[in-house]
Amino acid sequence: MTAVLHDSGIITLSGACPVDDAETLLQLLLANPTAEIDWRDCTAAHAAVIQVLLVAKRPLRGPPAGPLLTRIVTPTISSSG
Amino acid sequence: MDEFLEQFLLESRDLIAQAIDDLLALEEKPSDTERLDGAFRAFHTLKGAAGIVDFAAMARTLHAAEDILATIRSSGGAIAPGLLNECLTCLDLTSRWLDAMQTSGVAPATAEAEADDMISRLVGSRDADERDQAPQPQGDDWLQRLDASALARFDGPRVALRYIPSPDAFFQGHDPMALIAGLPHVLGVDVALTDPAVSLDSMAPFSCGLDIVVWMAASAVDVRAALTGAVGLTEIRELAAPGVTQAESDTSKAALLLESQLLVLQDAGSDGLSGRLASAGRTAVHALIHLGRDEAAIVVDQATAKALVERRTSPLVEAIERALTRAGPASVRDDAPARVHVPRALRVDMSRIDALVKLTGELIVLKNAIGHAAKLSQENTQPAVLAASLRDQHAQFDRLATELQTAVLRIRVLPLRSVFRRFPRLVREIAGSVGKTVRLVTEGDDTEADAMIVEALFEPLLHILRNAIDHGIESPERRAAAGKPAMGTVVLRARRESDSVVIDVEDDGAGVDLARVRAVAAQRRIAGADALAAMTDAEAAHLIFAAGFSTATTVTDLSGRGVGLDSVKAAVERLGGRIALETRPGIGTSIALMLPFSLMMTPVMTVEVAGQAFGLPLDSVLETAIVKRNLVVPIGSGHAVVLRDRTVPLIDLTQALGLPHHPPASDQARIVLMSIGPKVAGLEVDRLGERMDVMLKPMDGLLAGVSGVAGTTLLGDGRVLIVLNAEELFD
Repeated sequence: MTAVLHDSGIITLSGACPVDDAETLLQLLLANPTAEIDWRDCTAAHAAVIQVLLVAKRPLRGPPAGPLLTRIVTPTISSSG
Repeated sequence: MDEFLEQFLLESRDLIAQAIDDLLALEEKPSDTERLDGAFRAFHTLKGAAGIVDFAAMARTLHAAEDILATIRSSGGAIAPGLLNECLTCLDLTSRWLDAMQTSGVAPATAEAEADDMISRLVGSRDADERDQAPQPQGDDWLQRLDASALARFDGPRVALRYIPSPDAFFQGHDPMALIAGLPHVLGVDVALTDPAVSLDSMAPFSCGLDIVVWMAASAVDVRAALTGAVGLTEIRELAAPGVTQAESDTSKAALLLESQLLVLQDAGSDGLSGRLASAGRTAVHALIHLGRDEAAIVVDQATAKALVERRTSPLVEAIERALTRAGPASVRDDAPARVHVPRALRVDMSRIDALVKLTGELIVLKNAIGHAAKLSQENTQPAVLAASLRDQHAQFDRLATELQTAVLRIRVLPLRSVFRRFPRLVREIAGSVGKTVRLVTEGDDTEADAMIVEALFEPLLHILRNAIDHGIESPERRAAAGKPAMGTVVLRARRESDSVVIDVEDDGAGVDLARVRAVAAQRRIAGADALAAMTDAEAAHLIFAAGFSTATTVTDLSGRGVGLDSVKAAVERLGGRIALETRPGIGTSIALMLPFSLMMTPVMTVEVAGQAFGLPLDSVLETAIVKRNLVVPIGSGHAVVLRDRTVPLIDLTQALGLPHHPPASDQARIVLMSIGPKVAGLEVDRLGERMDVMLKPMDGLLAGVSGVAGTTLLGDGRVLIVLNAEELFD
């Protein structure tokens, strides 16, 4: 499992996040309405995971590790934001 | 080209014409099921034909369109305008492919890529239609999601992709991000939700609702190849080269600079060669660096060094030329229609061929009769009997020849509908692009004319229509202020007038601004100040047909492209026609093209000067007159004659043709009055001849450039008759 909630209240995404992580991430976000997300260790993410990030609009700590992920310019999940 | 392919092209064009007809009728009346069936059948047959000649791209494009029509047919609904347009675009594309095949004999290489695009457009428009015109980003709006600054940094081909995976994509085990990771040279990605209102509580995490835009430094072909696993809608757009919008003027300036370096290098002399090489190279490098084209600059720099070492200009010239071909305006949007396709084959009504067969039979009977008369003449028949028989046969022959001529001409005619029907859609597009609404009314589209004339009319008419919409019709606000309906009207009317076909293009716009025309003509030195002052309003209005004239204050995409109405005038004159203009301020402008019904026969009048016969085209002859020589008065360096209280400039044809001059034999001058555009001018000749119909052969070879001559023909006695071009004589 690569989507994990830490004690600090931060959800981290690490490694390559497969499609199942979308459901995990969604549940974590629903259970922790204020949790921020850290995807600096994330090397790749399934589009379903990206979709959850888009819907969540939570603060995102980046930039992510995966080269393709850094090229996403969408403001809500942009690596610079 | 093999016969098989020729037949395919011929039939496909017919089918396309039929499909366009049906689609345009559907546009008028979207619920017309008969037309829908007709269009469906045409698409279906076209697809089949494409399959037979193994033109896969065409087959699958038409298949996609046919699918859409089939769905509409089975649902019993009306066709949406967006879908209709895409179907028409699909036919346009097919038509272009056929043109390419006609010239090269094979399917164009770009067809596959174009087919992909067309299919995704067709599918896209169908889905848009199914979503019942939900507020879906339409057309190319999505291109605005691109990060322009990131794109501008990259040279070379750039492509934008929009990918909307189908909702069940995740269930199918598809990961759109993995697909994007496999795309070549991704520069940036924008991921959006198809439904921005969705929340964490309501979302279905495994149902895909993404709308992804990706931009890449790659060619469309590579991108398309990498897209094979896509599940859902894809749309690919090739992007113009960097910074077209702001940098276009810079680019053209730089291009000029580069061109002038080429001129410097052209001078073959070895004097100061190294100096010239170094300076030209340096200038070119600076120009390229300014454009941000560092790679090209490096290439030119290296070429300069090479040229200096080898002491010859060619390496540098080649390098600059290469840089130049890329420096030109990066994406000139060429919305000009493809060249008019000259009909190589013609479909002819069977009854017209039957008429020819019947005439041939009668000619054979007549041939036998003449043979009989020839035999009689050998048998010492009475001359009077023989003469009567010959006269009789000549009369019959005359009748048959006329009938044969008419029958042959009737084979070559086409109704003007075949060109008129292309305009309603074009007019709507043109009007839309300049923010006006314009209604096109066509009248008399069953008027017939020679096939070659009909085909050649498309471009001139399109140009006139563009002008009418762009310059003639006012903006909706100005129309409202002038008390006119906001929607402009352009009438396109064809009619027969004795031996001519007349096509009128009338708009209800503001009319030609004569004061501006005069001002511009003076400014561009199209006519001198005195000449301008002496011009009547009608003559001044005709100045818009003068070469180098264009009154549009802002150069628009449409008519202000440097080619003015002069090109229309030239095209019409090439067909042996004339152009006339009538304009009334605030009410509108009407342009009439008068064209010969047939290109084959030209009525001429013969005249004689210095013992030689010349022909004058009858359609520009107004009248002939014999006047007393004392009515001819010298004015300035020329002459004029007063006819019915009107002063008409007069040219002595003998002098104009440079023939040996001799003093006038009588105190009477024979004058042919001719209409030259809106003006009237006289030609003085020695003798007035007769009227005849001739087959005019245009001048070719070395004589092609001779001015003042329209062509030649043979007279009954074997002499060559030179037919003069009146307009050029008076220039």
